[in-house]
Amino acid sequence: MQAAPSPGWLIARQSASFVLRERTVALLSGMFVVLVLISAWLGWSATSTVNRIYLDAAAFLQKSGQPVPSNPVLDISPLSLLRNMSVYVALIGALSAIVIGNRLVGLDRKAGVLPLIGIRPLGRNAYAAGKIAALAGLILALGAVAGAVAVATFLVLPAITLTGLQWTQLAGFMAVTTLYMAIFGLIGLAAGAGARSETVGLLLPVTLWLTLTFILPQLTANLNPTAAINPISALAIPPDTSFFHWAAVVLGPVSLADAYKFASAGLLDYLPQGIASPSFIPPVMTLILATAVAAAFAWRALTRLSMTEGEYNV
Amino acid sequence: MSDAALIPARLTPTPVRTIAAKDIRDALRDRFILIVTAFLGLAALVALVTGAIALRSDVATYEAAKATLLALGKSADAIKAPEFYPLRLLRGAIEQIEIIGAAIAILIGYRSAASERGRQTLALMLTRPMRRWQFVAGKALAGIGLLAGGLALVLGGLTLVLHFMSGIGLGADDLLRIAVVWGVAVAYTACFFLVSFILSLHMKQPSHALLVAFAVWLTLVLIAPQIGDTLDPDNQVAGGVFKQLNIAKPDQVEIMKGFATFETVRGGIEQASVTKHFERFTFAVLGIKATYAGMPLGPILTEMRGNLIWIFLTALGLIAIALALPLNPDRLAKA
Repeated sequence: MQAAPSPGWLIARQSASFVLRERTVALLSGMFVVLVLISAWLGWSATSTVNRIYLDAAAFLQKSGQPVPSNPVLDISPLSLLRNMSVYVALIGALSAIVIGNRLVGLDRKAGVLPLIGIRPLGRNAYAAGKIAALAGLILALGAVAGAVAVATFLVLPAITLTGLQWTQLAGFMAVTTLYMAIFGLIGLAAGAGARSETVGLLLPVTLWLTLTFILPQLTANLNPTAAINPISALAIPPDTSFFHWAAVVLGPVSLADAYKFASAGLLDYLPQGIASPSFIPPVMTLILATAVAAAFAWRALTRLSMTEGEYNV
Repeated sequence: MSDAALIPARLTPTPVRTIAAKDIRDALRDRFILIVTAFLGLAALVALVTGAIALRSDVATYEAAKATLLALGKSADAIKAPEFYPLRLLRGAIEQIEIIGAAIAILIGYRSAASERGRQTLALMLTRPMRRWQFVAGKALAGIGLLAGGLALVLGGLTLVLHFMSGIGLGADDLLRIAVVWGVAVAYTACFFLVSFILSLHMKQPSHALLVAFAVWLTLVLIAPQIGDTLDPDNQVAGGVFKQLNIAKPDQVEIMKGFATFETVRGGIEQASVTKHFERFTFAVLGIKATYAGMPLGPILTEMRGNLIWIFLTALGLIAIALALPLNPDRLAKA
């Protein structure tokens, strides 16, 4: 006789399948996949254009008797073809994760099924663990799709061969990407469970995302919002003043967009020499710590969710 | 004598005015609009202050380098003095309006449409003696009015900070330029308000409409300009490809003639977004783009009228759609 599945597993499976039926989740996830594909094309197109510009410029310089510098494309690692993916993960990947997290608990609240779940023989811990497991599964699936596109790009493009170390770096980038989306998914889950209204549950994490993506980089590195969404321009050296020094010390450890940006640039080999993350905590460590904190918030909000109230209060 | 006869004609409440006044009162009462305006104001202020601190650092570096050169008995002409145009410090703030201002407009549009649905009052309101377009027009007028007020507060506050922080003060021409930017910012954010308002008023689930509006925002505000910016060959190599190859500006232009199709596609992707038109217009008016710094306002407006037309036609087109789409109260009950 087969053993009955655990309550946590049942919650996780039901929640994930429920969320996957949501058209908005499908829309945002679909957008994310399309943009991941576009990012691979953009990397290839932009790099090959720079290469052609170099060839034209070299001919021009030779003709005018000037020295011809080395081709900047040859100094670029093939991994940096995927640099745009880090921008799309920070934009649409994070937003998709927020929506997935929010819907995972929001659907139960909106459908008024919490009292029904509350009378079943399962503890709050099983409910919380099931929701977090469902989120982990869905975020891992998004990460796996992005990873598959990345691998396919390098296998399909001619004249590009990655070394063993570069494949490991690519795996590291995909792991960091999944971690970054998981942080926002967990924040979405926490806000969805803790907020009194459905709208506030969605707006709180979106506001936090806007702050992390567009306001904190301005304080830590004087980075304007449009520069923050360009993978190369985003890696600027902060002005050498005591204000930016202290802003980096105080805000650097919580500036998650900065941490993801520098972790991605390091792993995909496009971090210019002499430029480092403004934070004193290494970027990957910042992301791991943020995941732990976001998971703690999500756990707290989910285990304190009132199982006697059906709908949102307002 | 009837009450209506006692009220001067200009004060006679019309359905549009009544709905608009009610919506503005509602929005101010629940402090939502104040909170989001404060958030935008904070983001813009951070941008202004960090920009000013960075500029001060550039000036200090220049002064130190100049003093060193003079002490060594050399000419200070070898180093370029940092240029100071106070309005240029608004660059970060304009970009925050471009991104966060548009997101706030989406939220205001969503709330404007979803409020009557959430309270189940839409059907009740439509039993009153008014046409359905008047209901939509009143709501739209209130939303755009709230945006205009919020942007006036933000830009007004920034102007005051800039006036006292810059050390040289702002003149009438500067204030006129900021007023022009305000007007265009209202039209630009109105586009996003209307997208969200139309979707939230007509989609079955308002929360789905909010997410679809955010998907539109992502595409127009962040992705389309980002793709155009990323495809710029000069943004592919740290410091710029031409700078790394030591190629002078006239030669760059010559080389780029061979990439005309690529540049057309890149420009087309950027220009498909109303955000890029807003950015180009405001950067020119405020002199943020170096070629327009110090240029009189008149010629700038003439040169930028294409961007201006694009922004206003987008807003007018969306207003027309909002007014033309039929309202179905049965479908718009709380989802």
